[in-house]
Amino acid sequence: MHPTKSGRWITQTVSSTYLSEAVAIWLRDLRSEFRTRYAVNSILMFALTTLVAVSFSIGSFRIEESERPFLYAVLLWIILVFSALSGLSRSFVKEQESGTMDILKLSARPQAVFLGKLFFNLTMLGVLELIIVPAFILLMGYKIKFPGCFVAMMVTGGLGLGAGTTLVAAMIAQADARGALFSALSFPLLLPLIITAIKGSERAAYGISAAGWPEVKIAAAYAVIMITISLLLFPLIWEE
Amino acid sequence: MIYKILLTIWMNLIIAAVFLYVEPAVGFPGEVSRILFFHVPMAWVATLAFLLSMIASSVYLITRKVNADFLAQSSAELGFLFCFLATVTGSIFAKATWGSFWNWDPRQTSIVMLLMIYGAYFVLRSAVPDYEKRRVFAGVYSILAFCTVPFLIFVVPRITTSLHPEDTLNPANPGMDIKTLIFFLGSLCAYTGLFVWMLRLKVRMLRIMDREQRAFRSNF
Repeated sequence: MHPTKSGRWITQTVSSTYLSEAVAIWLRDLRSEFRTRYAVNSILMFALTTLVAVSFSIGSFRIEESERPFLYAVLLWIILVFSALSGLSRSFVKEQESGTMDILKLSARPQAVFLGKLFFNLTMLGVLELIIVPAFILLMGYKIKFPGCFVAMMVTGGLGLGAGTTLVAAMIAQADARGALFSALSFPLLLPLIITAIKGSERAAYGISAAGWPEVKIAAAYAVIMITISLLLFPLIWEE
Repeated sequence: MIYKILLTIWMNLIIAAVFLYVEPAVGFPGEVSRILFFHVPMAWVATLAFLLSMIASSVYLITRKVNADFLAQSSAELGFLFCFLATVTGSIFAKATWGSFWNWDPRQTSIVMLLMIYGAYFVLRSAVPDYEKRRVFAGVYSILAFCTVPFLIFVVPRITTSLHPEDTLNPANPGMDIKTLIFFLGSLCAYTGLFVWMLRLKVRMLRIMDREQRAFRSNF
């Protein structure tokens, strides 16, 4: 170990880039998540419980055929968003609880930490969507006319969810009353994304063609803006 | 003191004039169009206050001057108050003209979003025990929230059309008669003056509270 010009100690002698540090943090988080499976279990169990409750009380025939594309899109996104909100804060709360926050501050640059945690949250969201969306389609008999557009909406919607919540997770990890606070702070930021994603999924399921998939583009723009702003603001809350 | 007296006289004059002197606008049932002189200035003050709060937060994050944060906090609280009043008055107007208090008109959606964002802002402030950290987090959150506002302005109107009156009650429209316009601008000034007075009180209060807390802590 030796200090760099700025006086910061780095663990590697080879010069590390932002991306390599971010990937290192991402892989470390995945490894520790694989050992405990705390975040993934809580997110998936929350999602499955909600899905079963919705499916049991509505079933696949209760709603009129013509109403289904819209109502099913609403239900699907409510399940996805609230399951994500139940577990995504773990990525930073974990560091705070195990007391590894200070070591992490010393061993990587703030933007790299943010990117690593963002990759980890996106991985969690990917796992969640891969399991819940097919299960929802099967259980509810959800017919989708444009599968390509639907998949694109799920991918960009997931990106937006991760982008909008990671910075909030970093803040609430350092506050009191973490669990309830995370949903309360994230939800207003996510609402434009949720409205867009519901509209986009509905359109894909109905099969109403719109040139250029506008909702997919809006969700992608939301994700890009939130990631950019978060990268700029993250050092402020990280180096306090 | 003199400011307070002048403001009281001015507001009373405006209130009396808009009920007794200005005729109600055409195309609206009964007297409902008089809401223009109260609802629109409230919404205007709320917008001004939130914008001021965002700018003060950014100034705090750059300079770390405590006064900037006092301004940001006071402005956000007053903005929340005026935003809530605008929501309530707008809802009453909606009942009188559209027949229901709430129908998720795009204007109603975006005003509720604002209330939720600033509600969350106050929750965040109360949940961070460390003073310095609290100020930084509040600033970061208000900038983050501000970045989602363009989506509300461009996304939500795509989904449904608005019933909100834009033509006959819009001051930028030449269709508004001159008497209405003069008193509308007068009311706008009165509400802005009220906001400035309340803001100064609130900032002074926060400053005194901060000083007392410092004095209290220095005793140990």
